[in-house]
Formats: sequence, structure tokens, C-alpha cells
Amino acid sequence: MSLTKRIIPCLDVKNGAVVKGIKFLDLKDVGYPPELAEAYEKQGADEIVFLDISASAEGRKTLLGIVEETAKRLFVPLTVGGGIREKDDMRAALNAGADKVSVNTVAVQRPEIISECAKDFGSQCVVVAIDAKRHAGGWTVYTHGGRKDAKMDMVEWARKVEDLGAGEILLTSMDADGTKDGYDIAMTKAVADAVNIPVIASGGCGSPKHILDVLKETRAEAALAASIFHYGQWTVKDVKTYLRQNGVEVR
Amino acid sequence: MPLKVALADYGVGNLHSIRKALENCGAIVNVIEDMSLLTEAECIVLPGVGAFDKTMERLLPYKEDIVQRLNEGVPCLGICIGMQIMFQNSAEGEGPGLGFLHGRVVRLKAPRIPHMGWNTVETDDEIMNGVDDTHFYFAHSFHGSPEDGSDVGHTDYFGRIPTLFHKSNTYGTQFHPEKSSFAGMSFLNNFVRFAEERK
Repeated sequence: MSLTKRIIPCLDVKNGAVVKGIKFLDLKDVGYPPELAEAYEKQGADEIVFLDISASAEGRKTLLGIVEETAKRLFVPLTVGGGIREKDDMRAALNAGADKVSVNTVAVQRPEIISECAKDFGSQCVVVAIDAKRHAGGWTVYTHGGRKDAKMDMVEWARKVEDLGAGEILLTSMDADGTKDGYDIAMTKAVADAVNIPVIASGGCGSPKHILDVLKETRAEAALAASIFHYGQWTVKDVKTYLRQNGVEVR
Repeated sequence: MPLKVALADYGVGNLHSIRKALENCGAIVNVIEDMSLLTEAECIVLPGVGAFDKTMERLLPYKEDIVQRLNEGVPCLGICIGMQIMFQNSAEGEGPGLGFLHGRVVRLKAPRIPHMGWNTVETDDEIMNGVDDTHFYFAHSFHGSPEDGSDVGHTDYFGRIPTLFHKSNTYGTQFHPEKSSFAGMSFLNNFVRFAEERK
């Protein structure tokens, strides 16, 4: 036995509620994140990610209350990302009950925030989210939720965040995201081979086979998915059974 | 009478999950900021948040008294960094640890660091009795390397690393039971029962 691959459902949270429709659960309050997180834990999720897509400061504040409520009932790790602008935002999220916090735009703008946070809170809770798009000869990093070209090479940036003390990379393919055609294997491979910290593959998952492919063909430690779980096509348990049958070790 | 647990708050990170988990196992949890109170506690839990020196900062003035209590057999659980500070020193920090466990904390040797995710613990120790699934959640770059034989459980991660420690009535875990779902809860339940019998 050794370290198992992780399956991570991701919930988009806006003003304290989950945005994407969630059909698999027979719950009264369908959009309430702590309840959904707990339900995913019961299915066997190895970790939960809350991605805050609130546009306002008030929405963010609501999220911290939600994180606190979740931490009291969730007994798997919780990662919170979206809208982190400074070290104090990260501190607030950790104090509220997040185990890890992911940074994206702010890390590109001010890379030293990675080392500052790693020093104060430990590398294991600093996740750098990298959104990238395929360009001639490689992949380019984007910030601001994919709206702004950071004009940086993805692999170089991945190496740099590792040097700065990031504990993990959450890698999203903007080309694959939303297509349900599968993860970008070449892209995931490029990053997972270049760094010595764990990599979470994200973007494009439409079936358990896609998760199997990215975990078998790359060195990624984990796969993140949203809609395949939310719409009840597959439970986390189904995916894990399938992975186990196909030779991938999972919990 | 339910077990009263003194849960050390080093001033960094959150204690929501571990507090709730211990309460779910039937313990009454007092979050302690004044570390001198640890020396009077009937059960001590040193949680797993923060870095080595920062975590030791508040404990340092009471080091001798805490170690004496541990040697006398007060039940104690140290999680991750809360376990690592029981050693004499660490490659992660400059200052001393409690020195209750003999040996030091060393950096992991592996192509992927941190060791992050779910891995198994191999052990014969009674604290794992009835814990069916022994997958636990790990998130660490350092691990304890004891010289006193206190390592009673091990994990395979590019080599065999010590991940469960037992000495006197103290347990230390490299994994986070409070983040290890049903297996973690089952482990913590065993610890609370263990502590109740020895308080």
C-alpha cells in the first residue's frame, strides 16, 4: 500500500450558496455548501474545494461563515480559493476552518506572497492555482478568472511557485474546462513532470474514464471535478470503484 | 464523567475540526491559550497546525512541567506538528522541542514533497483496534525519527516512515485523524476511551 490518488469535488460558491445545480441529493436546502460537502465526504471524497465566485466583499464575508460551519461537520480537508488578495485573506480563511487556501491572480502579481504565506502558515496549506491555455509551442498562464493573459510560460511559472514554497498546484486547462471531453493530458504531464510538489488536474472531466486517463497517463496526484458529481451521473464512490477496477489505488 | 480534554491553541490555524471531532467522541473540550493549564489537565491534545518554532513558542516556558506530566502518564495525543514538537529538535526549526520523545524531526526524502493525501498505517498497536480502514490523511514535509522505539506504526512513502508513536500514555500521529473521515473518527474514539481509562 502507498499514497492513494485523490478525487476532489469542487463547489462554486457565490454569496454563500452553491451556484451550479446539484441534482443528486435529496436535500431540502439544495444549495447549502456545508451539507453538500458533508454528502460528498460520505460518498468517499478525499477532499473538498470551495471556489468563491462572489464579486463583492460581502459575498466573501458570507463565505467565511460558510467555511466555519463546514469545518465543524466536515472531516476531510477543505480548500478555499477565489478572491484571495493578501496574506490576511489567507489567514482569515484558515482561521475560519480552511485547511488549504489557493491563490491565483495575486500570486502572479506578487509572487512573494507565496513565500510569505508558506513561512507563516506552512507550505502544506498554500495551493497555487494555475489557469493555462494552449499556445504555439506550449501553454500560457491566465489570471483574473481566465480573462487576462499573464504572458508567462506555464511550466516556468509552475517551477517558480514550487521554488517559492507552494505546497501544491491546482492546474486548470482553460481549453478543456467546460467541454467534458477529458483533461488536457499533455498539459498536466508537462507540469507534473516539471515539479516535485503534488499536482491536481482540473478542467474537462466528463466521465470516470477521463479521471482514469489523467491519473494513469500523468504524475498528477489528484483529479478535481465538478459537474459529473453535481448532476448525479456518477457518485464519488462509483468513480473510485471504476478506478480500483482499472488498477488505480484509491481510498 | 466525560473526559475533559485540554486542547492547546498555539495562536495559529483553526481548531474547529479537531474540537468537533473530540466532542463527537464524547469528550468535553477546553481550548487552552494559557499553556500553564496543560500541566493540570486530565488529558492533553496538541493539535496539528503551524510550524515547529512557532508552535513551541508558547509551550517553551512550561516544557519541564509538561514533560513530567507526560512521563507520569497523563493521556496525551499529539497530531502532526503537535507530535513533532515532542521530539528533541527538528530540521524545520532552530529551537528545542519538548524532548519527551528521543530523537529528532527530519526532512522527508521523496520525489514528491509534501507527502499529501491518504495513505495507510501499518501497526499492531491497540489504539487501532477496530479501525477497519486504515487510510489516513497526511500533509507534511518532515517526520519524526525516534531513537527510543516509540514508533509503533509505519507508512510506505518512498521508504518506510514512522507515523504512529506511543510512549507512556501519549500517542503521536503524523496523520490528521480529524481530517481522516470515518477512519479518523474511529481512531479518535479509541483514543478518548483509552484516555478515559487512564485519566
